[in-house]
Amino acid sequence: MIGNYEDPRKVFGKAVGDLAMDDDRIVLLSADSGKSSGFGDFMKAHPERYFEFGIAEQGVVGVAAGLATTGKIPVFCAIAPFVTARPYEMVRNDLGYMGQNAKIVGRNGGISYSDLGATHHSLDDFGLMRLIPGMTILCPQDPNEIRSAVKAMIEHEGPVYMRIGNPKIPNLFEEEEFVIGKGRKIREDDSVTLITTGVATKAAMEAADKLAEQGISVDLIGLPTVWPLDEEMILASAKKTGKVITAEEHYAYGGLGTMVGDLLAEKLPTPLKKLAIPNTYATSGPYDAVLSYYGLDAQGIAKSVADFVK
Amino acid sequence: MDKKQLTELKLQATRCRLNVLRMVRAGGHGHIGGAFSAMEIVTALYFYKMNVDPQNPRMPDRDRFILSAGHKCLAQYAALAEKGFFPKEVLDTYGSLGSHIPGHPDMHKLPGVEANTGALGHGLSIANGMALSLRLDGKPSKVYVVMGDGELAEGSNWEAAAAAAHHKINNLVAFVDFNGLQISGRVQDVMNMTPIADHFKAFGWDTVEIDGNDMAQVVDVLDRAPLSDKPLMVVAHTVKAKGLSFGENDVAFHFWNANEEQLAQAERELSELAASYEKELKGE
Repeated sequence: MIGNYEDPRKVFGKAVGDLAMDDDRIVLLSADSGKSSGFGDFMKAHPERYFEFGIAEQGVVGVAAGLATTGKIPVFCAIAPFVTARPYEMVRNDLGYMGQNAKIVGRNGGISYSDLGATHHSLDDFGLMRLIPGMTILCPQDPNEIRSAVKAMIEHEGPVYMRIGNPKIPNLFEEEEFVIGKGRKIREDDSVTLITTGVATKAAMEAADKLAEQGISVDLIGLPTVWPLDEEMILASAKKTGKVITAEEHYAYGGLGTMVGDLLAEKLPTPLKKLAIPNTYATSGPYDAVLSYYGLDAQGIAKSVADFVK
Repeated sequence: MDKKQLTELKLQATRCRLNVLRMVRAGGHGHIGGAFSAMEIVTALYFYKMNVDPQNPRMPDRDRFILSAGHKCLAQYAALAEKGFFPKEVLDTYGSLGSHIPGHPDMHKLPGVEANTGALGHGLSIANGMALSLRLDGKPSKVYVVMGDGELAEGSNWEAAAAAAHHKINNLVAFVDFNGLQISGRVQDVMNMTPIADHFKAFGWDTVEIDGNDMAQVVDVLDRAPLSDKPLMVVAHTVKAKGLSFGENDVAFHFWNANEEQLAQAERELSELAASYEKELKGE
């Protein structure tokens, strides 16, 4: 099902703002990033719970930790690399090590700021965040999942990193309760397991349709929670198909593919192929063209899967 | 403050220094230089100014103490133990496997610790967040921060300095323990961050300069804060390893690998000082 297209930032900002209207524990933090994060309505309604800090992401993460120690639930949203790589030590120590209930949201994530170049790409955020003990990583796959993931993120006690994109994306699934750590079985079949997250899921769904026409039946798993992995779902599928392929907007090292690989190596050694961005400073250009260049569009994924199962 | 109260505080600071020596004896080493230079500030906060309750360390209305320069933690541990937050026997575990008093403070291991500091340049932003939240909730609590002078080279401090001034966080009082020495030598030679007060003033803070090892001056500035609607930076001129007669103002005592002879001498001298304050208080 391909439903209506929505701006992920607006969907996110409205979802957080709606919750914050009725929950005065929630405070929103901006590093000159609030309006672009969809916080505009909340800023006007509750200026006392909206804090602007200018372009100072390290400081904002520390402030988030301090707010959280007193029972607040701070939500800090800005461009993905600037809330992960830039203030990494603050996220690790002040949120992770201190165990604080703060929410970090990286927007324009992955390679969606495609034309702005490698400084604005976040192709290492899953890897960085996964190395922080106690961190949860969410990467919703459509607007409905963003809405439900926001609720789950706020209800979850502990630090959370959520990645969302930039251009409008279609609704793929009905809105339902988001359970952190649970994957979504999108297509039940038996010749190869394909695991995706975030906006790559749409391309993977289209790839699975193409592959079905070629007689390749894909067991398709979408993971709106990147970490912790839904081990049960992944292992059951791998056991059934004996072949696993991952597709994501991230480096091949350290991302979802690595996490799945770690799991399989330990619990069920299975051939694995990782579709991702190679370990390089990625090229710039129109988003779709860049994804296609790296084989992460539907056609590229379908070709890689077909080659893999040969 | 009358003379007796002041003498009592000096006695507490001396007892805290003896607690530091107890930890150094247990672990064989420790960041003594900064712990001793900041001891009057830490003592005045815990034994004179801050609203904290060892029986209820998470009391919502408490004042907060953030040791941004986490390596000075021996001073904080010493004060928390003296105040009764945990049994003094814990001091004897310093340096041992799984100790509740590691080389930098861990809030999950010890009551009274508010933040996991040690990586420099984190404390002031954390304190900003705490102070903003306490103000939002209408609480009377204040947030006190102790920073190092070498620490000021961390750029993140200046993000925090701007934010505190911009948001007029005047339930925040920060001290720079300006002992002038860091591992590699004199702060002004390693990376000159002076004039410290002028820098913070330019960012929009109130600033005061004191002799940070003079208990009366520390108490006085704590009683005066806040001076206005701005955050207050107290530039506390101190002596590194203050109270360690053979180590004062010597960068070799930033981190001390103690030998028995010197440790015994320090214990003897500080015990004698404590005894003299006790005698004075008894009117002898």
